[in-house]
Amino acid sequence: MDIQFAWLCLIFPFIGVLVTPFLARVGYTVMGYGAVLFSFLAAGATLLLLPLLFAPERLPLEVAYVWLETPIRVSFGVLLDPLSVIVANVVAVISFFIMVYCLGYMEPKPSTMRFWMFMNAFIGSMLLLVLANNLVFTFVGWKLVGVCSWGLIGFHHHDEEKYWIGGPPPYKMDTPSACGLKALVVTGAGDMLMLGGILIMFYYSGTFDIMTLYRTASEWIPRMAAVPGMILLVSVLLIAGPVGKSAQFPLHEWLPEAMAGPSPVSALIHAATMVKSGVFLVARLIPIFYYGYWVAGVPEAMHFFIIVAWIGAITAFLAASQGLVALELKKALAFSTVSQIGFMMLALGVSGFNQGLLVNGYTAGLFHLVSHAMFKACLFLCAGTVIHTAHSIYLHEMGSLRKYMPTTWIFMAVAALSLMGVPPLPGFWSKDAVLLTCLESRHFILFAVAMAAVVCTSFYSVRFMGMIFHGRASGHVKSLEKHHAHLGEGYPSQTFACGALALGTAVFGIVGLTAEHKLHDLFTGNLTGTLSLPIAEKAAAFPHLLVPLLSVFCVLAGAVPAYRFYVSRTWDVEAVVSRSGALQRIHRFLWERWYIDRFYNWFFVGGALRLAGFVAGVFEAALDALVHLRMTALIGRGGNALIEFVRADAPDLSNNIAYVLAVAAFLIAAALWWV
Amino acid sequence: MMSSHVLLQIVFVPALASLGIYLFREPLGKRAGWVAVAGLIYTTVLLVLTGLRIWHGAGSVHETYLLIAPDITLGLMADGLSLAVGLIANVLCLVLATFSIRYIDHRIEIIYEGVGARREASYYTRFYYLFLFFPMGFMGVSFATNLIGMYFFLESLTITLYFLMAYFGYIERVRIAMMCLLWGIFSAVFFLAASLLVYAQLGSFEIARMSALAGNPMAFWVIAIFLIGLFAKLAVFPFHVWMPWVHAEHPTCIAGLLAVYANIAAYIIVRALILPLFHDFQVFGPPIMVLALITMVYGSFLTLAQTDIKRVAACSTISQIAYSMLGIGALTAVSIEGGMFFFLSHIMGKTIFFSTAGIVVYITHIRNIENMGGLAAKMPITAMLFFSGAMMLSGFPPFSSFAAEWILFAGVFERGATDSLALTVGILGVAAILLTVGYTFLAAKKIFFGPLGAGLDKAHIKDPPLSMSIPLILLICLSVAMGLYPRAVMDLLRPVISGALMVV
Repeated sequence: MDIQFAWLCLIFPFIGVLVTPFLARVGYTVMGYGAVLFSFLAAGATLLLLPLLFAPERLPLEVAYVWLETPIRVSFGVLLDPLSVIVANVVAVISFFIMVYCLGYMEPKPSTMRFWMFMNAFIGSMLLLVLANNLVFTFVGWKLVGVCSWGLIGFHHHDEEKYWIGGPPPYKMDTPSACGLKALVVTGAGDMLMLGGILIMFYYSGTFDIMTLYRTASEWIPRMAAVPGMILLVSVLLIAGPVGKSAQFPLHEWLPEAMAGPSPVSALIHAATMVKSGVFLVARLIPIFYYGYWVAGVPEAMHFFIIVAWIGAITAFLAASQGLVALELKKALAFSTVSQIGFMMLALGVSGFNQGLLVNGYTAGLFHLVSHAMFKACLFLCAGTVIHTAHSIYLHEMGSLRKYMPTTWIFMAVAALSLMGVPPLPGFWSKDAVLLTCLESRHFILFAVAMAAVVCTSFYSVRFMGMIFHGRASGHVKSLEKHHAHLGEGYPSQTFACGALALGTAVFGIVGLTAEHKLHDLFTGNLTGTLSLPIAEKAAAFPHLLVPLLSVFCVLAGAVPAYRFYVSRTWDVEAVVSRSGALQRIHRFLWERWYIDRFYNWFFVGGALRLAGFVAGVFEAALDALVHLRMTALIGRGGNALIEFVRADAPDLSNNIAYVLAVAAFLIAAALWWV
Repeated sequence: MMSSHVLLQIVFVPALASLGIYLFREPLGKRAGWVAVAGLIYTTVLLVLTGLRIWHGAGSVHETYLLIAPDITLGLMADGLSLAVGLIANVLCLVLATFSIRYIDHRIEIIYEGVGARREASYYTRFYYLFLFFPMGFMGVSFATNLIGMYFFLESLTITLYFLMAYFGYIERVRIAMMCLLWGIFSAVFFLAASLLVYAQLGSFEIARMSALAGNPMAFWVIAIFLIGLFAKLAVFPFHVWMPWVHAEHPTCIAGLLAVYANIAAYIIVRALILPLFHDFQVFGPPIMVLALITMVYGSFLTLAQTDIKRVAACSTISQIAYSMLGIGALTAVSIEGGMFFFLSHIMGKTIFFSTAGIVVYITHIRNIENMGGLAAKMPITAMLFFSGAMMLSGFPPFSSFAAEWILFAGVFERGATDSLALTVGILGVAAILLTVGYTFLAAKKIFFGPLGAGLDKAHIKDPPLSMSIPLILLICLSVAMGLYPRAVMDLLRPVISGALMVV
């Protein structure tokens, strides 16, 4: 029966896609409720899988049907194991709340049909990615999620100025359609490389089925390791996919621009679904490379973990530092998302560093995935309400909104505190688990980088809360007040969705430690029992309170100055920055996003267009002229001479035919001579 | 159950329909399009029935007709491979014949404005009696059992293209028609030379007998000469220079078939060279893979630079055909089957892409995509068609090109396990798919997104008549069906390709 629920999870959202156009004929309100109903059904079916986590001996469950027999065998099925059940629940349940929020947020009009269809397709594709029993269908979900994100980010495809992001002027602004294309291409770069990795792995293993890959690792990993560099190559290719989809360095630059979509889309992409798919896939691949290094004794397999951990750490700090100066609310949250996913990657990466860390790192990464999904969805949905109320995407055009939006303030504060890692909210527990695993790995540089990211996280969280809700009202808000604009909470459905997620965050914080232990037990059983991976019991090398204390210290190190700058306003941030040339340079560096986006635009976008211009304008033009002008002129002259010799009249067609006949005669003669 | 002479009917019913249109052109007038469509529906049904028979294990269908005693015969043979190629090519002809019913009417109005209704009807019937030589040629190439038969049908395509281009093409139609003819003849000369070489060695043009050449030093030269001719047809770099001109200046309903015309050379390589001469072909594998990679990257950059909507589609063909070539060059059963499947998927995607480009030009009278923009709001169905075409070319699920790409590259990487060149080409090849995503979606963005182009006549911009869009929607459905159930195609290809290579 559980398997049937898994199928239903997949089917409901796609049915929602198909029936939406018909519901639109009944009415736009009916269409909205209908679309939400199917996401509700998917969430319901997914929740019915949860009891499996309390009976882990029944896992994994798998059912598959042959999709393609020849020339390669591919099955289509679902796989229920602790990883897929947990991530599917995160996806389906949080997506449902986002859909409820959309009922109020999205104006009922014809174009919303496309919105609802893409939203349900997005949810269905993500569930396919998570529940698929093999890498082909995981990749199908992966690609469909990419297409849906393109459609949703570029939802306002008329590119009206009010939907542009970036700036504020004179800085560059981006249109929604350009942002959608950027997301599609940047994530696509990772997708394609990952396809290469999967296919190389397929050659050695002969299967795409995830459980078969695990089970037969002892046979195919040594074969792959026999080719020097092959495992390293496959590691890099496979990691490229998650790096792109989860917006990790160096493919992280698409995500800030993805904010051009409606706010619920940002929540869906950044909290619940797409950016989590990379973390999910890395978790899926860990048993393979762990086996390769710790059982098969292939040193190259360690590269997988090293690369993942370093990418995670670098991204966690890099994005958090960019969040310090962001002026667009949703962009600040986007940087935050990139950074937090870096923490997840870091935990998963260090899980392979020694046998004592496998379960701890694996658990920490996924625990942070769950908690982050909840509080970040809440933050994005609240941000949508705030932007709607403030009529601006910029933080410096907000301020003092708490009196108008007290409920939203509470919800957002709960989520922001969790993001900072304030106890006892879930962000504290999950970040603590990540940091502890990192410290236990004794890679102190990684640990230091992660701690620096915690400081930045704390700073930017207090900063955006202060700039939105506290301090003096900006000139823009005053102008709204003057014109009696609606300054208040969102629609009831919006408030309900935000409240549910904030409440969930608070409750999850209370049971956080218990949940972490439960997840730990679950993954211990899965990794060591089902997958027979060896682990070592290790006593803690550091005092248990060290990491929580350090973590709280880092939170305070970021929060206190941010509080004085942006909440109490006892320090004047502009005065401080204007006094220091170094701070101005740092600000500029961070504002320019470490100059990475600018470099990518110059090198990849500009480079590709320049190369295309050269190919078409110079090379192709020269080749075309050579073949179609010079050669024909030469042949024409020769033909003319020949025709002049044999006959008097020489129209153009005759030249050509004479030439063709001459060539044909020559070739036939040559061929016969060879014979 | 099957009527006799089924292959003969499949090949020559379009020619008979053509003759009928020609003879009754005056009474038929603009109903000629429906006669062509009826003929093609009939042949499609025959192909489906034959396909089902083969799919259920009938193996293959052979027919031989004595033309001139004692041994000049017309041999036709349908197996899984030729049937798959023939069926998809015929479906595309059917789709484009239906699409053209309104499109070509409009085209004639533009080119031959003021000639009067009678002359217009005359051009209309002329289009259709010429058009029907395409299905005849494609079916003939697909089912011919000997090289001379193939040569004949290939040449019939070249000549048909010449006339259609000269009558119904765009601005420089007569000059480009001549260019197209010359390149066709260039290709044909090599084809004929290689065929004669085979005949000199074996005393036969029969493809089935070509395996007797295996191991013979002359096999190298036979393959090399064939390949030069076929590379020109496939527009492999540096023989691609004709493609942007010819594709761009053809009426768009023909441009879709031009992709088939070019790509069918990949089928000929598999049928006439790889299957009978697999071992002798090995030496050509690495250079073909490298050329394919160069062509796909070069073609992509060429496409990226285009601003003419028709040249975007034209240049992308250069890049896309190279994927089939890559599969063929890797020379594993999986890669060849994947290459053939990709060929079928590509021609469907390209038909959608070209035809939609045609619709845009038909409605807006503009070819420069920089002057377009915002059309999605006014032409939602066309936008949906164009994006589907972009997804088909870029290998997105659920379209058949997704499955084809997986199979093709699985084969390439299979070779890559023992061949570092193939591994490198494979990785660069999958990475190059990103260029396809880039140029198709960038063009789509410029055409359909943003504010409505300043020079566009808002009042007249709307989706085209249903007779133009419905055939394309059905074709998209077919691609989705093949993507969801790729076994339908792979079960046809496998016995022929894997079966033959296992014997070798």
